[in-house]
Amino acid sequence: MGPSMGRPGIILLREGTDTSQGKPQLISNINACQAVAEAVKTTLGPRGMDKLVFDGRKVTISNDGATIMALLEIAHPAAKTLVDISMSQDAEVGDGTTSVVLLAAEMLKQVKEFVEAGVHPQVLIRYMRQSAKLAVETVKKLAVPFEGEKGKEMLLKCAGTALNSKLISSHQDLFAPMVVEAVSGLKSDLSDLNLIAVKKVPGGEVRSSFLVKGVAFKKTFSYAGHEQMTKKFINPKILLLNVELELKSEKENAEVRITDPDQYQSIVDAEWNVIYEKLDKCVDCGANIVLSKLPIGDLATQYFADKGLFCAGRVDVGDMVRVGKATGAVIQTSTNGINAEVIGNCGMFEEKQIGDERFNLFTECVSKETATIVLRGGSEQFIEESHRSMHDAIMVVKRSLKSQAIVAGGGAVEMEVAKVLREESLKIEGKGQLVMQSFARALEIVPRQLADNAGYDATDILNALRKKHFHEQEGGKWFGVNIAEGGICDTYESGVWEPSINKINSLAAAGEAACVILSIDETVRNPKSEQPGAQPQAQQGRQGGGGMSGMMGNAMDIANNGARRGKLGHGVNYMKGRGGG
Amino acid sequence: MAKSMALNSAAGLAGMLKAGHKHMEGVDGATLRNIEAAKGLATIVRSSLGPNGMNKLVINHLEKIIVTSDCATIVKELEIQHPAAKMLELAAEMQEQECGDATNLTVSFAGELLKLCEDLLRMGLHTSEIVMGYKKAYEFLEKTLPTLVVENMEDTRNEAELIRICSPVLAAKQYGYEHILAPLVAKACMQTMRKGGRASVTTDSVRIAKIIGGNINQSECIAGMVIMRGTEGSIQHAKGKVAVFACGVEASATEAKGTVLMKNADDLMSYNKSEEKKMDEIIKSIADAGTKILISGGTVSEMAMHFIERYGMMCIKITSKWDLRRICSATNASALVRLGPPTPDEMGYCESCDVREFGVRKLCVFAQSPDAGQGCTVSTIILRASTSSVLNDLERAVDDGVNCISTLCQNGSLLPGGGATEIELSQRIKAYGDSCPGLEQYAIRSFAKALEFVPRTLAENSGQEPTDILAALQAAHANGKSNVGVDIDGGGNGTKEIGPECRDLFAAKDSAFRLSVDATLTVLRVDQIIMSKPAGGGKQ
Repeated sequence: MGPSMGRPGIILLREGTDTSQGKPQLISNINACQAVAEAVKTTLGPRGMDKLVFDGRKVTISNDGATIMALLEIAHPAAKTLVDISMSQDAEVGDGTTSVVLLAAEMLKQVKEFVEAGVHPQVLIRYMRQSAKLAVETVKKLAVPFEGEKGKEMLLKCAGTALNSKLISSHQDLFAPMVVEAVSGLKSDLSDLNLIAVKKVPGGEVRSSFLVKGVAFKKTFSYAGHEQMTKKFINPKILLLNVELELKSEKENAEVRITDPDQYQSIVDAEWNVIYEKLDKCVDCGANIVLSKLPIGDLATQYFADKGLFCAGRVDVGDMVRVGKATGAVIQTSTNGINAEVIGNCGMFEEKQIGDERFNLFTECVSKETATIVLRGGSEQFIEESHRSMHDAIMVVKRSLKSQAIVAGGGAVEMEVAKVLREESLKIEGKGQLVMQSFARALEIVPRQLADNAGYDATDILNALRKKHFHEQEGGKWFGVNIAEGGICDTYESGVWEPSINKINSLAAAGEAACVILSIDETVRNPKSEQPGAQPQAQQGRQGGGGMSGMMGNAMDIANNGARRGKLGHGVNYMKGRGGG
Repeated sequence: MAKSMALNSAAGLAGMLKAGHKHMEGVDGATLRNIEAAKGLATIVRSSLGPNGMNKLVINHLEKIIVTSDCATIVKELEIQHPAAKMLELAAEMQEQECGDATNLTVSFAGELLKLCEDLLRMGLHTSEIVMGYKKAYEFLEKTLPTLVVENMEDTRNEAELIRICSPVLAAKQYGYEHILAPLVAKACMQTMRKGGRASVTTDSVRIAKIIGGNINQSECIAGMVIMRGTEGSIQHAKGKVAVFACGVEASATEAKGTVLMKNADDLMSYNKSEEKKMDEIIKSIADAGTKILISGGTVSEMAMHFIERYGMMCIKITSKWDLRRICSATNASALVRLGPPTPDEMGYCESCDVREFGVRKLCVFAQSPDAGQGCTVSTIILRASTSSVLNDLERAVDDGVNCISTLCQNGSLLPGGGATEIELSQRIKAYGDSCPGLEQYAIRSFAKALEFVPRTLAENSGQEPTDILAALQAAHANGKSNVGVDIDGGGNGTKEIGPECRDLFAAKDSAFRLSVDATLTVLRVDQIIMSKPAGGGKQ
């Protein structure tokens, strides 16, 4: 920068810093968000399609919004907000991760025209927040509380709805009861989801998946002698250990120094005594089954086999905890001081062949707090996706139990909320009216996309739904998209139910995300540290304009052009649709 | 000039300095450039002023995304390079440290002052005359500001009053959420105030726990500490005495390397048992002292855990030394550096310690009943939001709110907000300027004009017509209505009488004016910039 030649060039910020501001920047952010939503929108609903994501090492086939969002490695700073809300929906509710992204993007799309028309974003934000609040209140009002008797049936339907949109939807008659059974066993405070394990055994058929009311885990590595053990116990006593039962030196830094060679044998004997003493204590306490987090060596295995006990070493911590919970046993780090209190028991133990794996099963336990679902299926990807689906369903049932209220799915609740918002908007004077109406229109994306994905004419269905909701106030409030047959139906009647907390959270989160993106009026990207020459091209043309030239570079520029590549990480290939281009 | 120097390397300034330096001087070369840079910075931040201010999205060098309208954060993350703009950044930093609020006022006002003196320089005024004028104007402002104080808050233990005062501060950062945040902040501050004496709040004693997921309505305030992890053992609820160990709960090992020497078989047999027994004894003695909750600053060995479980104690691991110190203060315990039974006065007490689930995260909540003994010295605000950027911005807003209450406890004087103070000051300074003979009169007038930017920006940011509002305000103030300010919700003609619901802290405003005038004068006094070649050849 030469001194005082023409316009003064002032470098205010560090070289390579990128700034962009004003309306174009906001529009570009909105475009980026829409592009992200575009990528996941076809996965929504029972007829949604799956995505195959290949990250260079692993292939993932999924229909779960959060999984896809995480794998996409979105680079655009504003679009990252959508990843955030998808993740938070996953953490908070576990399901509805696609719809939250869709909703947020659609809200932005609907208000884009206002931004272009020059409405101040703060005005938009104020009424968006108001609308989101009203929407959440409406859902709360609409929610149908659980009734004692029908509680279980309701849970079944919620689980069914969650599974409906997944790969294993055709087997929901099998999985839904499984999930409900597993979750309802948990204690009322529902604190620990780790108590429900999902084990995957590739091979076999999906329908041979089953639920173990208790604990099941794959047979651990075992030494000789294991095959002589009894593999089935009725009413066994169980001892859980965190002790290594193997012949080895007691402590790393111990050293034995003997003066008399005769003593040598006594030292060897002593070592044997140490381990035998431990083994004896395990046997003496009356246990039939000994499990340990740490290895159980060949000596111990043989010893237990001789005494008619069953043992397993190197058991996974999670499984140990679950066995503890199920049987009432307490994990012991020492073999000393074992008493009746720390020994657990269950009704039945057996080692069983499942597929080509052997499983240890603990059933008929004292406490019903744990359950294990064993998933079977053809390919690894299939089982992985089934696992994710089960996780979603488990979370949904858990949240339904917690919130004790449900709403009808299939876009019905969105339509009803949209109707309420429209009515409410007419009471507002000024620009707020329009903003609230666009918010209402944005909500319609859910039924629209559901119909689109199922191959029906979305416009026809939406019109029918709007009419139904508007004309038959009370009677029409649960009408949504009829996925099975096309057209519309009362989804409450047909049992498409979702926990109300799912909708509440997604409306609140989507509204929040939309507001954050609207509230940004300037983007400044500092050059990455530790990477010299990371953005060499950004330096050019950074002379005049007072360092605040308002130009955009790199990701921002591309985002403006609307190409998908701008939002994804470098080197991402993207193919979509039947043509793949 | 630079060119000729380059040819004759032995002469002039260029000859004295190392090759590659940059050098600018004079009004055109240095002063105006500095002004330009400061203006640039002020332009970035001024659109974030006030409740309707917009957010900035800053991606810092670590690729972290920050969405905020908090000026101190923006200038910090911008990585400003220009030396003059850096002055403003430093002023903002000082303001953040001193009052934690009104940082935007500091930067924007300095920018505005500099912008206006650009015209003065073009008019032909000398820098020293401008400096003199600004100085005089500031002295007058300093005298006038205390006379504008509308109320003086004595009772800082009144929760409703605290909510009222921190609401506008929070609204400036999180407009629309202040009714949720303000009660949380006020409650948290109230809880940490010591009983008796003058109320005071140390900002460090209000902790913030951020948990992603849910929404802001689920945020809450807890009297006590929150540790962002679950317990080690299986016990999830406890109430009673607390023993805090700064060391790990495990068998003590010697620092010096040593080997255990065993002479015969009996030694070998008893070696392991003795260690186990020792641990049993220690844990038992801790349990016998009445401990219900055991907190460890280091690792808890599996053997120790075994006995802790057996004696029915809740065990929590806290790895951060800071958190450990706070937990000591929250439970009134003193940390032990050696494993062993604590004495009664070394032990603390916790009303209830629970593991609670927020989303998928598990937290350990140490709640204290507010009436017990000294009360609790730490309180925690749990913030919930769906996106990390919102969460971080909420945290900054809460920080500002706490800082505001802390400042309020020291100085309870309050000024009317909404630009009313600035417009009143502007009119008085203008009148004062007219009474001054000499060329500094122009500078004083510019100073007065610069103050108008606050109401103008407030109006601009809320999408209203700034010129109309400014005119209306000036008319109102000229008629003696000294409390009329901008109505950001745009009712009537955009102005309204500022009521008790919108008050600014005198201390914060006073310090903001002082710092920005200081920064302005420093920038103005520079007439020559010499930059040596940056060390290190890595960057271009």
